[in-house]
Amino acid sequence: MSTDNIIEIHKLTKVFGGVTAVFELDCTIKRGELLGIIGPNGSGKTTLVNLMTGFVKPTSGKILCNGKNITRMAAHKIIQLGIARTFQMVRPFYQLPAFKNMIIPLYSPRVKQMLGGRYGDRDAVALDLLEEVGFERDAYVAYKPAGALPQGYLKRLELAKAIALQPELIILDELFSGLSLAEVASIVPIIEKLRQKGKTIVMIEHRLKELFRIADRIMVLNFGCKIAQGTAEEVMASEEVKNAYLGSER
Amino acid sequence: MFAGTLVYAIVNSFTLILLAIGFNLTFGISGVANFAYGALYVLSAYLSWMMMNLLGLPFFPSVILSILATTLFGALMYRLVLLRVRGQALSEVIATFGIGLSILELFRYLGFVGFEYTLPVFFDHSFIIAGTYIDMQRISIVVLGFLLVVLLWLFTHHTSTGLAFRGIAQDERTALTFGIDSDWIATLSVSLGAGLAAIAATIIIPLGSISPSEGYDVLIKALAVCIIGGLGSTGGVIAAGFFIGFAERFTDTYFGSHWTMIVSLIAILIVLVIKPSGLFGQQKELEERI
Repeated sequence: MSTDNIIEIHKLTKVFGGVTAVFELDCTIKRGELLGIIGPNGSGKTTLVNLMTGFVKPTSGKILCNGKNITRMAAHKIIQLGIARTFQMVRPFYQLPAFKNMIIPLYSPRVKQMLGGRYGDRDAVALDLLEEVGFERDAYVAYKPAGALPQGYLKRLELAKAIALQPELIILDELFSGLSLAEVASIVPIIEKLRQKGKTIVMIEHRLKELFRIADRIMVLNFGCKIAQGTAEEVMASEEVKNAYLGSER
Repeated sequence: MFAGTLVYAIVNSFTLILLAIGFNLTFGISGVANFAYGALYVLSAYLSWMMMNLLGLPFFPSVILSILATTLFGALMYRLVLLRVRGQALSEVIATFGIGLSILELFRYLGFVGFEYTLPVFFDHSFIIAGTYIDMQRISIVVLGFLLVVLLWLFTHHTSTGLAFRGIAQDERTALTFGIDSDWIATLSVSLGAGLAAIAATIIIPLGSISPSEGYDVLIKALAVCIIGGLGSTGGVIAAGFFIGFAERFTDTYFGSHWTMIVSLIAILIVLVIKPSGLFGQQKELEERI
């Protein structure tokens, strides 16, 4: 097993009833890269994330993380290996202040293991993490109940919860959806900073323009199959990708 | 008469809170509506009775053993049955109700009915508060009910297992991404709920007797308190416990006891008409916000 691949996926298939969501997919995620996964609605992107993080068990195929087989591992164990994810639909503790929302990730088994139970003052750590994702320091916003936060901050909170787990790989499922251009522009530097720290990032995205600016590599899915991969220019030049997005003329 | 009614209304409120808190805990954490709850309450009382009267064990070891046994029973019920129908609310209700029905009707079939089936009071003593006779057992209900609520609050807010409990209560998938094993937490929630039912039985049964029909009664009362309070909300259970507890006793005194049941049912209807998710329930409003 080469050590520069953090994830290796072999012939992964998932069938839901009669629908094949992912079909014989082969792919690798290199350590330290930012991989963008795109594809039309229903092309199997989120299913792929759910498979990688153990939320859905594959029909067949194999997933390796750092050479270790995680194909049928339970979701709560996969996170221990350093794979964190965000959800498309944010689900914070609505009644708690934003920084108090970080208590569960900061008390999680993964963080305890990584930092040996010594994490200092958790409220301070929570505020630091929130600042890292763009909650203004010394502003009231971090103390507001999550239920009163606008969508942009809720997405940042979701990102902060994933970062809090000290993961190696962060999978962002449509982080940009529902955000304005300005909000996306302010989150992009946060993602770039994570990469500088050596984190591997996978982004599922429909906002192609913004994604292409930061991604090293793009993988395109359609009907559960990989139809193209490479740099943004390469995949957009592909006939198959054009057909998938625009429909083919036959 | 007013002062006496007030004292007994407080006792009644804490009785209801004790009855409902276990059901509420289980539902609040794992979303399992444990319809075997009343049966577990009765089961633990019969277990204590059998250990004391058939095996001749002293009171305290008997009740502690039966509380532990009921807790274990709850865990087994989850691992062996509920795990298989997890997430299907209707199947969970049917499965737990079936288990409860079997337990209660088994005891009825075996002939465990009569006034001799009861548990002893903790301290046989009574005194006068505000011109009203009140016995130590009723005082114990108030004190222990209060203590249990405080302990539960400390547990869910200040221990990491408690935090994990609240995490899964919020969102099971998010809990999984934080490395929390949701099946294990759900097992704990059902088993702790069962244990709380057993504790409630130990404290409340001495005032009456153990009978299979008590199981159905307890289930209905627990459901009423939880629905009025807002399913899964601890603050709601306390508020609803006092609401129904006071309504019942004051109806008894000023209108007659044949109105008691009607008043609490009307109270449920009024609350549900005005606030469909219960006094403190926020589920519905939050869903609407998204």
